[in-house]
Amino acid sequence: MASRDDKQRGVLVLGGGISGIQAALDLASARVKVYLVEKTPSLGGRMAQLDKTFPTMDCSI
Amino acid sequence: MLDAGRHPNIEVLTNSELVWLDGRAGRFKATVRRNPRYVSEELCTGCGLCVEDCPVVVPNEFEVGMGARKAIYSPFAQAVPNTHIIDRQNCLNDDFLVCNNCVSSCDRNAINFDDTAKEITLDVGAVIVATGFDVYEASAIPSYGYGLYDNVLSNMELERVLNATGPTHGHIARPSDHKVPKTIAFIQCVGSRGEGKEAGCQYCSRFCCMNAVKDCLLVKQHEPDIEEMFVFYIDLRAAGKGFEEFYQRSREMPELTYVRGRPSKIMEDAETKDVIVYVENGETGEVSRLRVGMAVLSTGAVASASNPGLAEVLGLDLDENGFFEVETKYGSPLHTAKEGIYLCGCAAGVNDISDSVAQASGAAAESEKFADKLPDEEKKREVKEIDVSGQPRVGVFLCHCGINIAGVLDISSLKEHAETLPNVVCVEESLFLCSDEGQGLVQEKTVEHQLNRVVAAACTPRTHEPIFRDSCEQIGLNPYLFEMVNVRDQCSWVHSRVPEIATDKARDLLRMGVARARHLQPLYKNSIPIDRSVLVIGGGIAGMYAALELEAQGIRVYLVEKEDRLGGRLNTLTKVYPANLSASELARTMDKRVRASRIELMTATEIEGITGFVGNFDVSTSGGGFKVGAIVVATGADIYTPTGEFGYDKWENVITNQELEAILHEDRQIQSAAGGKTPATVVFIQCVGSRDPDKNAGCSRFCCPTTIKQAIRLREDGVNVAVLHRDMRTVGAKAEELYRQARALGVKFIRYTPERLPRVSGKGSRAEQVEILELALNRILTIATDYVVLAAGMVPDEQSTGALHEFLKIPRGADGFFMERHAKLGPVETTTEGVFLAGCVSGPKDIADSIAQGSAAAAKAAAIVSHDTVALEPTTCVVEPSLCRACGQCVEICQYHAPSLVQIAGGLQVAEINQALCKGCGTCASWCPTGAIVALHFTEDQIDSMMEALLTVEA
Repeated sequence: MASRDDKQRGVLVLGGGISGIQAALDLASARVKVYLVEKTPSLGGRMAQLDKTFPTMDCSI
Repeated sequence: MLDAGRHPNIEVLTNSELVWLDGRAGRFKATVRRNPRYVSEELCTGCGLCVEDCPVVVPNEFEVGMGARKAIYSPFAQAVPNTHIIDRQNCLNDDFLVCNNCVSSCDRNAINFDDTAKEITLDVGAVIVATGFDVYEASAIPSYGYGLYDNVLSNMELERVLNATGPTHGHIARPSDHKVPKTIAFIQCVGSRGEGKEAGCQYCSRFCCMNAVKDCLLVKQHEPDIEEMFVFYIDLRAAGKGFEEFYQRSREMPELTYVRGRPSKIMEDAETKDVIVYVENGETGEVSRLRVGMAVLSTGAVASASNPGLAEVLGLDLDENGFFEVETKYGSPLHTAKEGIYLCGCAAGVNDISDSVAQASGAAAESEKFADKLPDEEKKREVKEIDVSGQPRVGVFLCHCGINIAGVLDISSLKEHAETLPNVVCVEESLFLCSDEGQGLVQEKTVEHQLNRVVAAACTPRTHEPIFRDSCEQIGLNPYLFEMVNVRDQCSWVHSRVPEIATDKARDLLRMGVARARHLQPLYKNSIPIDRSVLVIGGGIAGMYAALELEAQGIRVYLVEKEDRLGGRLNTLTKVYPANLSASELARTMDKRVRASRIELMTATEIEGITGFVGNFDVSTSGGGFKVGAIVVATGADIYTPTGEFGYDKWENVITNQELEAILHEDRQIQSAAGGKTPATVVFIQCVGSRDPDKNAGCSRFCCPTTIKQAIRLREDGVNVAVLHRDMRTVGAKAEELYRQARALGVKFIRYTPERLPRVSGKGSRAEQVEILELALNRILTIATDYVVLAAGMVPDEQSTGALHEFLKIPRGADGFFMERHAKLGPVETTTEGVFLAGCVSGPKDIADSIAQGSAAAAKAAAIVSHDTVALEPTTCVVEPSLCRACGQCVEICQYHAPSLVQIAGGLQVAEINQALCKGCGTCASWCPTGAIVALHFTEDQIDSMMEALLTVEA
């Protein structure tokens, strides 16, 4: 399964919002190296800006 | 967010962008440009001293421009990473003049104005595009006066206003006079479902209806005295699990009125700054002029402005709306034209949070097969463990957290107090205990003073306990001998205005923490082996996708289907919208792929029992038994069978969507009863068995697009078509565009209300006409018809859902469908570890959403079985057998089914707790009448000692 190169092939995830974070976490927990690239200075995306989410009214962060 | 920032396998590259991509699936070379931050991520602790000294104040983007920030700033309080950044556009340091306030305020020399962009090259096997959306700019619609009138806000602005950390601290105020508005109007579809020249986008943005419903409930919560709220809408699209029920709850609010109609313009009363909304009521035709205190525009989503540039780098095409084009060949919403590049979230179109999360996990599964697996991380540290059998030697570490704690609490008084406490041998303080320097201090003092218990008075254990535990473990101190006292959230933050009382409380909490620490005992994680195979139950589209994804990753898969062929509901369909894919062809392709793979396929097989727990499930089926490490449940749902509604039982030509699908499947023509060349007429009636509190309160979501698809097909054959509906909920990919196409083709859409249902009448065995109250004209319309098609919703498959509920303990919701771990953040997970859901088993879904979930469930199951062992958290409950009298109360009360009664020698029974199932909640321990159950890490003497310490009056 492992490549013959010294380098391990990871996965590049573009976007650090809720989708990008979720994809990165799933890959990472399946033992895959992830590069999570976000163009703004912080992760979080739109969801971090929301107050609460329906219908459970949970906090967004 | 924090989890991603801390995961050892994730490298977070913020302030960065992809500039070049070369190669193919499995071996891409990606060049990423890291733009300068001017603040070092290694050195900055996020203390915020520089922010205080920065003289520049500019509008804050995170607060949608409503709040202010400095030129050096952290984007928001919980930002990851918490490194600050300098906005050079607004910074005073330029070539001619130097301010340098931030540089002089930073005692860690983290600021570097010479920072430049750096490019790095990465070897990756796959790329996931999760670039999200941009908010529609409401000022593009001049007649709504956004940006012109003070009290016209966007929904994004309202979100920030409602937030306790937002610009108004959660207080709703009119920007014009800072007074609480008495009346608020919400205007839907701003920039979405556009017509004419101020159009915006033609598609539906999907989330804005529910966003407005949520905001109405929140406004009422924040300002109970609000007098009136209005929501102006075209169709209220509460089309998702639990959404309709949530919407109906909002309708019970007496202050809230839903008005069907799209306002033509918004004006402002120049004197009072009140907002005047001009609208024609779509039901009564009445034109009104409504005065409100504030208007909120429900702005939709548009494609991210970064898409064109990124599409060029990736070599992908964008659709007419600027979203990434999906390759629809296999029906999956995740694929692009290029192998190895996948889409999720709002990259290919607007999705709500739960669908975005499922797609993200699905994209992860697709990518995994092109990536290498890192070695299974077993932390084997060759450190001799510190002996703790002697007297406790407690070290207390006080954190200033910059000014977060020390700005309010009197640290020297805490220090003095700590020194008086029993067994405390050292007390230290640090500006930031979580920094490398702070952690070094903890380790150094532990060794120096031979500490065997460590107490930190700092921030929250939720985010920082793992860091401290790790530092303890590194030097051989058992991590469970560390105790954290939260003097930030519970003292300096909540009582910031009364520093003396806050310090008193911190003293109490610290005393309790030290008392508990003296009683802490080392605990050790047990690991159990994992069976590296997965069971997928259900061979419909979701199950087949899940099985294929897992197989592609080299995992052994058992696919069990009760019918004798694969395909499930796909076998009953003609075309799959929006791509107009042939359903039978898709089913055939998938069937072939499954049979050509190494999947252990078991058709015509029933599940007879499942026992065990994560990593170790024992499965018995009518075709034999086997062991698996994880389970994907994809057993689908049933179509509701009408019970006499609209003469379904009485007349042969009253049929359901599904029955019409069978007619179309066989390519039979719909004939007019009049015969000859007269075109036939078909009347659809929506929401049969859905949105009905007596049957199924929820919206079934797939029936509106299904009707549209069938209506277009019939119309193309020359049939006259009328659709009687309550709201057209065309929310899937391209569904709004198909709705538009149907209208253009001449399909008639007529609204009805549940109070005045359409009436079907007929003679003999056939229905002949449908009567409906035409709301705008207030008269009865009679339509002679050849067929009446009932859009029957989806209901749980009682048989399989019931049986699996028994075996797997997955809870079922009020609607009978399986409940997800979290409606938004865990759409394919369940509360039973190692068991995942995909497709309609958790609620109605279309093909694309089911496929995304199938892939997502595969990613989750793969994550479990890609490890050799699972480490069990040792903070569980255990039974002392000599005290147990086998009353069985623990068995009754535990929601995780961890305790059971077992036979021991002499025919006696005692309770035993399965350590793999126990979550350590302690419910059984507090319930046990004989005190036989001990909650490890929260033992009675630990808790008693805290209570005693609290009640000890200080000398």
